[in-house]
Amino acid sequence: MAETVKVCTGNFGKGAQDIAVYRKLGGYANISSRLFDLSQFETIDIVQRSGLRGRGGAGFPTGMKWSFVPRGTGKPVYIVVNADEGEGGTFKDHRLMLEDPHRLIEGLIIAAWALGARSAYIYVRGEFLPSIETLNKALNEAYAEHLLGENIGGTAFSFDIFVHRGAGAYICGEETALINSLEGQKGQPRLKPPFPAVNGAWQLPTCVNNVETLMALPWIFEHSPEAYAAMGTPRSNGTKVFCVSGNVKNPGVYEAPLGIPLMEMLTSSEYAGGIEGTLKGVVPGGSSTPVLLPSECEKAILDYESLAALKTMLGSGAIIAFNQMCDVVQLLGTLGNFYTHESCGQCTPCREGTGFANRVMHALLRGEGHDGDLELLLSIADQYNGTTICPLAPALGMPITAFISKYRSEFEAYIAKNPNHASPRVNATIRPGAFW
Amino acid sequence: MSNHYNMPHLPSSSSPLVTIKVDGKDVQVPGDTNLLEALQAVGIETPHICYHPYLPVSGNCRQCLVEVEGPRGMGLVISCYTPVKAGMVVATPASSQRVKSTRKAVSEFMLVNHPLDCPICDKAGECTLQKNYMEAGQNESRLRGEVGKHYHGNPDNEFVDSKGQTRGGKRVDLGPRVLLDEERCVQCDRCVRFMRHVAGDEQLQLAARSDHTYITTFPGEKLDHEYDLCVTDICPTGALTGKYFRFQQRVWMLSRTPSVSMDDSLGANIWIDHNEGHVWRLMPRCNPEVNRSWLSNTSRLAFEKFAENRLPASDIESVKLALQTQGKVALVAGGECTLEDIVALKMLKASLGDRAEIFVGSFRPVVAADGIAKSGDPVANRAGFKLLGLAADNVADLVKRASEFNTLMTINNDLWGDDAKQAKALEGIENRIAVAAFNTETAHKANVVFGVNHWSEVTGTMVNCNGILQKLSAAPTAPDAELIPTFQALSTFAGTPITEALEAFKIASKEVPVLSGLSYETIRSTGAKLDGVQA
Repeated sequence: MAETVKVCTGNFGKGAQDIAVYRKLGGYANISSRLFDLSQFETIDIVQRSGLRGRGGAGFPTGMKWSFVPRGTGKPVYIVVNADEGEGGTFKDHRLMLEDPHRLIEGLIIAAWALGARSAYIYVRGEFLPSIETLNKALNEAYAEHLLGENIGGTAFSFDIFVHRGAGAYICGEETALINSLEGQKGQPRLKPPFPAVNGAWQLPTCVNNVETLMALPWIFEHSPEAYAAMGTPRSNGTKVFCVSGNVKNPGVYEAPLGIPLMEMLTSSEYAGGIEGTLKGVVPGGSSTPVLLPSECEKAILDYESLAALKTMLGSGAIIAFNQMCDVVQLLGTLGNFYTHESCGQCTPCREGTGFANRVMHALLRGEGHDGDLELLLSIADQYNGTTICPLAPALGMPITAFISKYRSEFEAYIAKNPNHASPRVNATIRPGAFW
Repeated sequence: MSNHYNMPHLPSSSSPLVTIKVDGKDVQVPGDTNLLEALQAVGIETPHICYHPYLPVSGNCRQCLVEVEGPRGMGLVISCYTPVKAGMVVATPASSQRVKSTRKAVSEFMLVNHPLDCPICDKAGECTLQKNYMEAGQNESRLRGEVGKHYHGNPDNEFVDSKGQTRGGKRVDLGPRVLLDEERCVQCDRCVRFMRHVAGDEQLQLAARSDHTYITTFPGEKLDHEYDLCVTDICPTGALTGKYFRFQQRVWMLSRTPSVSMDDSLGANIWIDHNEGHVWRLMPRCNPEVNRSWLSNTSRLAFEKFAENRLPASDIESVKLALQTQGKVALVAGGECTLEDIVALKMLKASLGDRAEIFVGSFRPVVAADGIAKSGDPVANRAGFKLLGLAADNVADLVKRASEFNTLMTINNDLWGDDAKQAKALEGIENRIAVAAFNTETAHKANVVFGVNHWSEVTGTMVNCNGILQKLSAAPTAPDAELIPTFQALSTFAGTPITEALEAFKIASKEVPVLSGLSYETIRSTGAKLDGVQA
């Protein structure tokens, strides 16, 4: 088998933070007449032909997203880089920005050329101080070499990049909440429509892309969109950066073509190097995606469609494997804490519902569970669906449903710890409805 | 997060009608509005909490969900933010079990951390949450001690109650007029949006996140604005209450009389809420053309003085006698006079003949309109005076020509109280009669006083600064049953008593062409626009 092509992670460990090293490794080769001779439509067409899909989690085709940005309106267009990586188990963007900041800058210049953008904002999660420092240093170098600023490469094209440090809210990874936060407002998702492509930051057309998506662009333009599309599966093209964590021998960031079997990612010496202990389950795409049982893992292929067929998601590519030592009830309790804490407090079902479910789970964990609590949890999780502006509440609902249905006996064991578990949950004589 | 472009588009009489399918039936609805308003137009009520027709849509309560057919089949959407499109297919709880159960679920979530102590809540009886629970909720509680209510708010206001439970702030002082109960707040952010988009002074904010979210002012700042009491009207729960009305009355004990505030010439539409002959509060009465849902604090809190310092009913003969004094009579009417009062005033002038002259106006200055619910003109019925052919701002003339007159009759016009300096020139007129509701400075200066009903106690009409004829209704709150309305007093002085306001209105409608064809029954609750009439 030929060596795996590294689209985004090729420069890892080579000191590419330095612009001279990056150039020596072939970087910024695109920022020349080759790019500037292309029209906007040709640039977008290349991205569409590559089949690149958004790597933030939803997997929306990038070229199509760019084509939604209105042209010729006379309004400035903004590019916003979503580097507010907050999903449990995801750490790829942090690493990508630390190891290869210039590739992100190069990708942004390509995107700016395609969209006619004058400025871009990299919204970095507040905790990622090292990558913010790396990015700022790289930006200074790029400005010094006149890759950014006024009239790049002697053309009329001018482009600026600003690094914006977020305050560490998970919800600011949702694109409209991110835009609100960028504007200086409270980071809460906006009602849609209007979508950011038409009415985003400061009410102007805005394109929000993930770090990894933009970092794939230099490779696509250097080689060819067809070469990129040739990798992966017919509908999930290219490579994906996976971050593997949990009970594996070598946790870390690995790039692989889409369509690689999950077990290969976990056991191959090229990647995570094997499971520690007996595999009990895998969360395949970040903490909010439904868990897979070992039997399902054997069948699982890492691409958007195959995982959807298993009723889970590729998400951000954060693979969390856990072994027989893991208590899934406590795992779910931890997720509950996270999503309760991170709810932005806007929509009622999420604001009140995540805390409600979390308190039920923690009563269970304390040994105060009652019969019917699992049905209560499943029913609460079901009530999140379709009732909120953004998918934060369903992001807790999905793991609740998956963990309870797949590991039900363990939850029941927790309920059995309560000697009074069969007693009724509410006093039947006190009903709130009785007041009226 | 609400943005200005989220302002709801409300249906009007000129809205194009489109056909949509609701619960399998074709209905005609206004086509240029949101689904919530469109359904309301055909009589389908949708429970909602955060939506308010005069505030930008925030879409956070999720109570108004309906199903709409989309590319992936029927999907849940919030009706307050979904524009009506011709041919759309909508399902309400009447046909969709999913909508019914989802609304019930939202209602359950809404009450997870909301106290269920309605019997001791000041908002009970007019609480949107309570109403929605009855319409869409009616859940069996699935809470119990260890998973139950979990009050969080501003950590500064937390306390531990006698049962050892941590509680949120119950009496948080937001400013001089408004108190906040953090536990009762459902974070609909109506008050935040009101202060930002209507009052134009962002004094309230939602702080923190998840179920810790709470309403607060900026550090060290207070909620203090001419319209701050409006937040207590639009608050769907008992979270924000006005200090003046808090725990004064149970709302179901109050009777409501629809009327018009005669505080200034916009004539803000109000409800007079009264019980046992006492006015307890004035509430804005929604009128899209006039004050929308807003009422200024000045107009709202005016009621506190309605029953104070009143003149008692007095002897008609003494006034008649005083009017018989030789020399010219100046009849000085104030802005609170209704159209009926003006009709009677003209009758009085006619009976006195050439020696009487009518002056209208106030010594109070006209200030700029605030664009919300005040026009800034203190002469409320200025347009009404003009409509009946009187000059509506000639008190300054009277000051110049004071020496011509021997008798001064002030009618609902507190000249001395408004500006004692200017009024001093009138002190040369020896014979002074005051017809007024209150024992004002002017009444003190008068040698004959005659007490009449206040505008909140009379039926009548006024024309506001935009030429809208609006009807006042009498609240049964007169402190003295012997008191009579101004029009009755004036017409009695003229020797032809009118006892019914309608009689006076009929006289006016015969006299003025634009009023012909109108009667008290045909003036809608939102008033009647009179063509070509301006203040």
